[in-house]
Amino acid sequence: MFLTRSEYDRGVNTFSPEGRLFQVEYAIEAIKLGSTTVGVRTPEGVVLGVEKRVQSPLLESSSIEKIMEIDAHLGCAMSGLTADARTMVDHARVTAQNHAFTYDERIRIESATQAVCDLALRFGESVHDEEALMSRPFGVALLIAGVDEGGPQLFHTDPSGTFVRYDAKAIGSGSEAAQSELQDKWHSQMTLREAHLLTLRVLKQVMEEKLDQHNVQLAQVTPSKGFEILDEVKLKEIIDAM
Amino acid sequence: MPDGSFSHPQQRQFNPYSDNGGTILAIAGADFTVIAGDTRQSEGYSIQTRYAPKVFRLTDRAVLAVNGFAADGNMFVKKVKQRLEWYRHAHAKDMPLRAIARLIQTMLYAQRFFPYYVYNILGGIEEDGSGAVYSFDPVGSYEREACRAAGAAQSLVQPFLDNQIYFKNQAAAPNQSHPAHLPLPDVLSIVIDSFTSATERHIEVGDGLEIYVVLAKGRSAQGLEGARGIQELSTKSDGDRVFVIRRELKKD
Amino acid sequence: MSIMQYNGGSVIAMVGKDCVAIASDLRLGSQAMGISSHFEKIFPMTDRVYVGLPGLATDVTTLHHQFRYRLNMYTIKEEREIEPETFAHLVSSTLYEKRFGPYFIEPVIAGLQKTASGDFKPYIAATDLIGCLNFAKDFVVAGTASDKLFGVAEGLWEPDLEPEDLFETIAQTLLNAVDRDAYSGWGAVVYVLTKDKVIKRELKGRMD
Repeated sequence: MFLTRSEYDRGVNTFSPEGRLFQVEYAIEAIKLGSTTVGVRTPEGVVLGVEKRVQSPLLESSSIEKIMEIDAHLGCAMSGLTADARTMVDHARVTAQNHAFTYDERIRIESATQAVCDLALRFGESVHDEEALMSRPFGVALLIAGVDEGGPQLFHTDPSGTFVRYDAKAIGSGSEAAQSELQDKWHSQMTLREAHLLTLRVLKQVMEEKLDQHNVQLAQVTPSKGFEILDEVKLKEIIDAM
Repeated sequence: MPDGSFSHPQQRQFNPYSDNGGTILAIAGADFTVIAGDTRQSEGYSIQTRYAPKVFRLTDRAVLAVNGFAADGNMFVKKVKQRLEWYRHAHAKDMPLRAIARLIQTMLYAQRFFPYYVYNILGGIEEDGSGAVYSFDPVGSYEREACRAAGAAQSLVQPFLDNQIYFKNQAAAPNQSHPAHLPLPDVLSIVIDSFTSATERHIEVGDGLEIYVVLAKGRSAQGLEGARGIQELSTKSDGDRVFVIRRELKKD
Repeated sequence: MSIMQYNGGSVIAMVGKDCVAIASDLRLGSQAMGISSHFEKIFPMTDRVYVGLPGLATDVTTLHHQFRYRLNMYTIKEEREIEPETFAHLVSSTLYEKRFGPYFIEPVIAGLQKTASGDFKPYIAATDLIGCLNFAKDFVVAGTASDKLFGVAEGLWEPDLEPEDLFETIAQTLLNAVDRDAYSGWGAVVYVLTKDKVIKRELKGRMD
């Protein structure tokens, strides 16, 4: 019996005859609907920037949380179904704390990223005696930024569980334009300040609303101070300098 | 009773532990560490073997000495080595010394209510290139120190080390202070003296002596090349290096 | 807990070149509690025979007086001073008298023995609590820190030490050994015996 494409859509863990997992591909599509998120790596540290879509003037913009700390030296920004990211960040946090507990050292950025990606494909029907995890793939992509013994690093993860290291990366609805802008402007000897400005400029270009300190959020990870989300005062200062 | 029943209740018990004697010792220098152990393994008054190693190379910068119940010790070392291999695969690097120390604590504490009957001493080179010694109790309490003895002759050797390494009860000459670390040849002499002394006065110590020396990256092997019975165990010559010196001890 | 450890305390004696040394800690305890830091356990029997009595404190006093009594009897009868070796046998037989109800003391004897040529030869000995004699050429130890004393002495002692070097060796051995023993310490005393004088030094040590 020949099955049509739509039938392969139903099973989250069934390959199509062409060798595709449609649900995973759709999940990757879902990210392209999300708000734009940018990450820039420099020798001085990594910068993360997100657009916050403030849909109503009654919405408290500070309650939108799209950048999260994983550990003191490690954080992430997200795009897509941000609710799914909570599960992933939770897992990353537990993994990082477990590593520190067991080894008395900070987890490497790549190891934390790998741990998150290990979760990504644990979806599908639960087998006998096995704990049911997720029924569908995660609908979110992450930019994981951190500093370890290998210096400042930026990783991108997607719902397929693939992760890649980037010097600069944009995800979300405006990612195509943003990515080409990053490719133009990024250079290897960038300062952290330049990375702040570049991140905001790229966001500004792809955002529909006028960029201000309420509808974007900026975070950085540096060797000296680790992960920190910039407060609105600092953010405004950078926006004004832009 | 003829019918096979018993007139009194009886109780039997299996004792899962025994003490296999021997002594281990480690001393940290500024940029090297010496970890040593005798090779006699005994049970009660019987010698089971004259060559059972108690000191093991874990990585090019970490050496672990285990003393107490030999079966537990060997199994514990095996499990630590397994964890080091897993770590290498997961994190693409050798586990640093302080991470191994913490790992050993968690592994020991995991057996809090059926412990490995083993005293561990971990020696090697830290990430910053300094020599380090970590000592543990059987359930994982641990501490970084400059020197430590453990095992059957701990009570004989430790006060000697207090005196010779920490200069305890010795006043420094006027306007001078005691050195924080001793040079390698001095440390080797103290180690050998400690074991010959322990062999002389303790029946469970003797037969053979294995002295592991870990040198920090870039440190010359000066003071070592002349040593009798030395062998290099490092996998590469441009990083931290591990040597072993094997000597005889009295067999009576 | 053994009655031998009830009050704590340790003694050591060492042979040097034409000299001997005997030293002890000064602690008197009641199990873990410290009672006194001036409890001497070494007693001069003659100018050239000293005895150290580590063990149960009540027996330290009793045996000290017992030895003094028997020694006086010996001196009166023999009309001469006792030699260390003879005194060691006196100790041994005194203890063995109480073979089945012993004094809880392991004495250490140090002295200078007169030779046929008129010189003095170093002599040390120790016995167990029922008087089994142990003559050693180098050093003897007894008390709650005996294992520690063995270890340090074995590492520090060497043959033919001059009186000052012997003092340094025995002092370092004792101090470092008792620092690792909870039942010994609280100061120390060292006697160095040479043919023409006895040097007594009280040492400060860790008071914990």
